[in-house]
Amino acid sequence: MRLPRLTLIDLVIFAAVIAGVAYVGYRVETVLIYKWDWSVIPNYLFRWDEGQGSYVPNLLIKGLATTIRIAIWTMLVASIIGIILGVARTSNRLFPRLVSWAYVEFIRNIPPVPFLFLFYFFIASQIMPLLGIDEAINGASPGTLAVAEFLFGPANLMTNFAAGVISLSMMSAAYIAEIIRAGIQAVPKGQREAGQSIGLSRLALMRYVVLPQAIARVVPPLAGQFITLIKDSSLVALISIQELSFMAMEIAISEQRFFEVWIVTGAMYFVVCYACALMFGQLERRIGVHMR
Amino acid sequence: MTLRDAEAALPPPDGGRRIQWWNSKPFDIVQFVLLSGLLAWLVWRGAETMDYRWQWHRLPQYFYEVIDGELLWGPLIYGLMVTIEIAAWGMLLAMIIGLVTAVLRLSGSFAGRIVATVYLEIIRNTPLLVQVSIFYFVLQPILGINNPIWTGILCLAFFEGTFASEIIRAGINSVPKGQWEAGTSIGLSRAKTYIYIILPQAIPLMLPPMTGILVNLIKHSAILSFIAVFELTTEARNLIGDTFMSFEVWFVVGPMYLVLTISLSTLVAWMERRIRRRR
Repeated sequence: MRLPRLTLIDLVIFAAVIAGVAYVGYRVETVLIYKWDWSVIPNYLFRWDEGQGSYVPNLLIKGLATTIRIAIWTMLVASIIGIILGVARTSNRLFPRLVSWAYVEFIRNIPPVPFLFLFYFFIASQIMPLLGIDEAINGASPGTLAVAEFLFGPANLMTNFAAGVISLSMMSAAYIAEIIRAGIQAVPKGQREAGQSIGLSRLALMRYVVLPQAIARVVPPLAGQFITLIKDSSLVALISIQELSFMAMEIAISEQRFFEVWIVTGAMYFVVCYACALMFGQLERRIGVHMR
Repeated sequence: MTLRDAEAALPPPDGGRRIQWWNSKPFDIVQFVLLSGLLAWLVWRGAETMDYRWQWHRLPQYFYEVIDGELLWGPLIYGLMVTIEIAAWGMLLAMIIGLVTAVLRLSGSFAGRIVATVYLEIIRNTPLLVQVSIFYFVLQPILGINNPIWTGILCLAFFEGTFASEIIRAGINSVPKGQWEAGTSIGLSRAKTYIYIILPQAIPLMLPPMTGILVNLIKHSAILSFIAVFELTTEARNLIGDTFMSFEVWFVVGPMYLVLTISLSTLVAWMERRIRRRR
């Protein structure tokens, strides 16, 4: 590896960064007189359980698990709604186009926070009782319950979890619909015409000609959407769903250690999202090789 | 037989059939209106089953009040003003941050690229809510900012600055290389090439996505309700806490945001069409 050539500009930039860091350090040490105490953090990641005689995940790790669960389930639900909306967006008929357009524009133009508040307030009281999750949990055998707990988190919070997933899916579906639409429209017109000319039905045309080509184009932005989803799932903390950000808020207040808890939480999100980004980057390169 | 004759001899693409009424555009629009009505009815039914008491008549006083012949703006209007203020300052700062980052990335300086990459990756891979928390709970006391609104503006500006830098970089890179070479060949300096040749071509391309950032700023400013910035969402939440009119308040605040964002989005679409036509 060749060493980069250092110029005057580089030195100026480095000096500016060091000066910035030094100023922050000076403020923390002498003006705020803040006493760092990182010792509370490890206990919230893993705690020693006397009964089991081993380390078990504590609030922060549990919160991270909930965040990932929310992201995965939301991705699934949102993809289904998003594919339907995206295909509707490219329909020949005006009606599906209009419905899908109205939905996408509505969601994309309304801020997520008010939407979550309103929607959560509404579905928590209206739709959740219809789903009958509580009855299902009460009637479930221990074996099924264990599987359900692995998939959806603690039983007593499952209704809450489902409400969060539904709210987030409604939002995410609009963005996925746009990705799908772009993917379908990127398939050259000649492909459709070729399909029509050999007498394929509309459904068969979608199934065998358009979608397989669209999916290859859609995978990279969908992967990006998944990372966005991990980040956006922090918003459901505002509606009291116990994922990572919610746990961080609770711990920061109860321990009065705002600096340490928020920095660690940020780092946890960063590690997960960055790992996903690297992984998806690899995946994309492989798909890119296949496409050629 | 010419091609045109052959086309005339063939039946029209729809097989010569007349469009049936259930396939016609007006019918589709009617269907759409019916569906919207159905949704509105479902919401209304839902509220009924919750024994929700609608109190629309209490709402106008939170927009404005006339006391002793004097017009006083209510909390919702104040909230809207704060939201717009945040978006305006955020836009300015985001553009500055974006420009600096884009210059650092394009400069070819080793340190500049490192700084820009670290900044971009950190902002891109952490949730905005966590960024807001870190700005509020960690950076605000450290930097000694007294007013949380400036913490919020700063945080949003750093968040949107990543998008701005990407837009600026893409805009500058989209100017063909030949333009650079042309500028150099007539003896212009690097700075002059930028000012007279590159930027006049790049800026029109940047305008629509930059307006998109403004839309995002308005949307994301709602997150600042988490840190006691008195913008529209905070005012709405406080109002609900005081009056329990959840539906009325959200049904009014939602459209207030929608009017702001949709008018800007329409502007973006119009600009994009114009640019595409000019090319």
